[in-house]
Amino acid sequence: MTTSNSVISVKRVTKTYRIGIGHARVREMLPPPLDAGVRAAFPKWWNQDAFDALHEVSLSVPRGASIAIVGHNGAGKTTLLRVVSRVTAPSAGHVEVQGRVAALIDALVGFHPDLSGRENVQLLGAMYGLGRRAMDERLPAILEFAEVGDLVDTPVKRLSAGMVARLGFATLTALEPDIMLVDEVLAVGDAAFQTKCIGWLDEFRRRGGTLLFVSHNLGLARSMTERALWLDHGRAVDEGPTAEIVTKYVQSTEHRRVDEPILSGQFKREVRKVMTAKGLDRWGAGGVRLEHVRVEQQAGNGSGLDVSIAYQREAHDAEAMVFSIGFQDENGRDIGSAASPPISITGTRGALRCAISPHPLRSGVYFPVVAILSTDGLVRDRWKLDRALAVERNGEMVLTEFGPIEIAGDWSSD
Amino acid sequence: MTVYQRLRARANLVLSLAQREYRVRYRQSTVGILWAVIPPIVSVAAATLVFHRVVGVSTGGVPYPLFAFAGLAPWTFLASSLSFGVPSVINAWQTITRIPFPRVALPLAMIATAVIDLALATATFVVFVYVTGGSLPITALWYPVIFLVELILAIGVVLLGSALNVFARDVKLLIPLLIPMWLLLTPVLYPLASVPDNLRPFYLINPMTGIVESFRDVLIAGIGPEISVIGPSILGAVVAFALGTWYFSSTERRFADVI
Repeated sequence: MTTSNSVISVKRVTKTYRIGIGHARVREMLPPPLDAGVRAAFPKWWNQDAFDALHEVSLSVPRGASIAIVGHNGAGKTTLLRVVSRVTAPSAGHVEVQGRVAALIDALVGFHPDLSGRENVQLLGAMYGLGRRAMDERLPAILEFAEVGDLVDTPVKRLSAGMVARLGFATLTALEPDIMLVDEVLAVGDAAFQTKCIGWLDEFRRRGGTLLFVSHNLGLARSMTERALWLDHGRAVDEGPTAEIVTKYVQSTEHRRVDEPILSGQFKREVRKVMTAKGLDRWGAGGVRLEHVRVEQQAGNGSGLDVSIAYQREAHDAEAMVFSIGFQDENGRDIGSAASPPISITGTRGALRCAISPHPLRSGVYFPVVAILSTDGLVRDRWKLDRALAVERNGEMVLTEFGPIEIAGDWSSD
Repeated sequence: MTVYQRLRARANLVLSLAQREYRVRYRQSTVGILWAVIPPIVSVAAATLVFHRVVGVSTGGVPYPLFAFAGLAPWTFLASSLSFGVPSVINAWQTITRIPFPRVALPLAMIATAVIDLALATATFVVFVYVTGGSLPITALWYPVIFLVELILAIGVVLLGSALNVFARDVKLLIPLLIPMWLLLTPVLYPLASVPDNLRPFYLINPMTGIVESFRDVLIAGIGPEISVIGPSILGAVVAFALGTWYFSSTERRFADVI
């Protein structure tokens, strides 16, 4: 990629924030050039509590490209979008953007809660430099896209988050941007609206629009973009074709490959903390709890998985239980599961094994979901593990395969 | 590039924001836009009762309600610019952290609503004068010129206050204290003539003194503005405008980070 034809050029950008509230602000209060003087005089005081949300990140996006930004929470993805959209200025480095930028930093869009949808659309247009008449002309298209119907004259504060997100996305589509910055917002709307947004973004790219896309939905990132930038703690780790980067990212962040144990006892507490932070779920009525889970490649046989589950019984009413191991794809969609017959459990502890051989998973990234259920279907403990299973067959993707499972078909020609 | 140059590409933004402010302010009230006219009328009535009937302030033969209105209208403009303008930037934090737009439009929009309020109050004043059988002197044509001085002053003070408030919320808390103090120290409800001579130079340091006095001169007394009275105000307004614009311009890039 050369710099000359790029519409977004981010050069060694560092963005420093301060942790905490209150007195930290007094330093920011000094206008230039006073701040430089004070910083030179009291460097230690000046730099305390500071951290780099972005550290010397560079990115060059040619016209018409679509780039995904992947990374943990707090990796600097949103900060990068803010810097590119000029909501905030970089602390060091240089940003150059050519064309009209529309930024959907989050689902709230910056709407005013007391104004109606219609008024907010007008105001957003004005903020992006579109006149009243131009917005009036586009309003019917916006309303049609957002499908909010009569609610358009209701104050936004009375609308649901999904409705607001629809309206926000619809408004941005009407701004006719050259560059779209989209941050995780598609997660808010329902499936039908998501599909619509994705369809619009596809069309936008076909028309030559440039897209910067942040999503924790790696499957979506993979289908929406050709290239990806991987950020970690504010630093650019790698950049390349999305499929490649996403696989590397998942492998690194989830620490585990298919041939390594996924989870063992000593991680339990830490993992639970991580899961809470990531919003991944563990829930259930209790009575019997999962203690630890391991998913391992079968010894001597690369195509099978061994799952071992240890459980703990807390209540005495729990007797016959169904154990289940299933998998979700990177979009969080359940793919399938293996459920045990009712197993009667006694004592306070126990363990089970399940062999899945051969495992039916195609190349890709999967999350194991382990559950204990009563025979009547009551979920006692359901745990979506935060460790992913990265499945690679022969180290490469086979392009004639598609979909998450392999279906054995007997083919013959007439 | 100053804040105003950036704003030029978004010419209608100030008006859109002012319109939004009006809608939000009066939306769930029952009398709506009448709220723009009620405060000056009520405060003139109260001031007339207290300062004319109780305290007995001398206005040199001018009917006190007229005297008070000529001072309270420009005063209300400044007070409303300050009380809505200073917190305007932090109140829009949700927009500031998500949308790139010239931040200066926020305080300017609040000042724009105060201008509209003043226009309505002035219209009420003019109707009041003619209904009570009086008339305005020809020097009333100076009114826009003197108002321009006040507008420049208000923009400067509000830009400075609203930017400082992003970093230190003390400013917002100071405003309800500042406004009544400033009102007491400005000859709004009493004439400058009643101020002892040895205090008068201190009064003229306050740029609002010259502005309020000049409003009275041109609206009631029928004399043109005196340079000795309005001069310090012009100087103060220009200094405040330059200071406010400079501070806002040089710190606005940090608003989204600190707010």
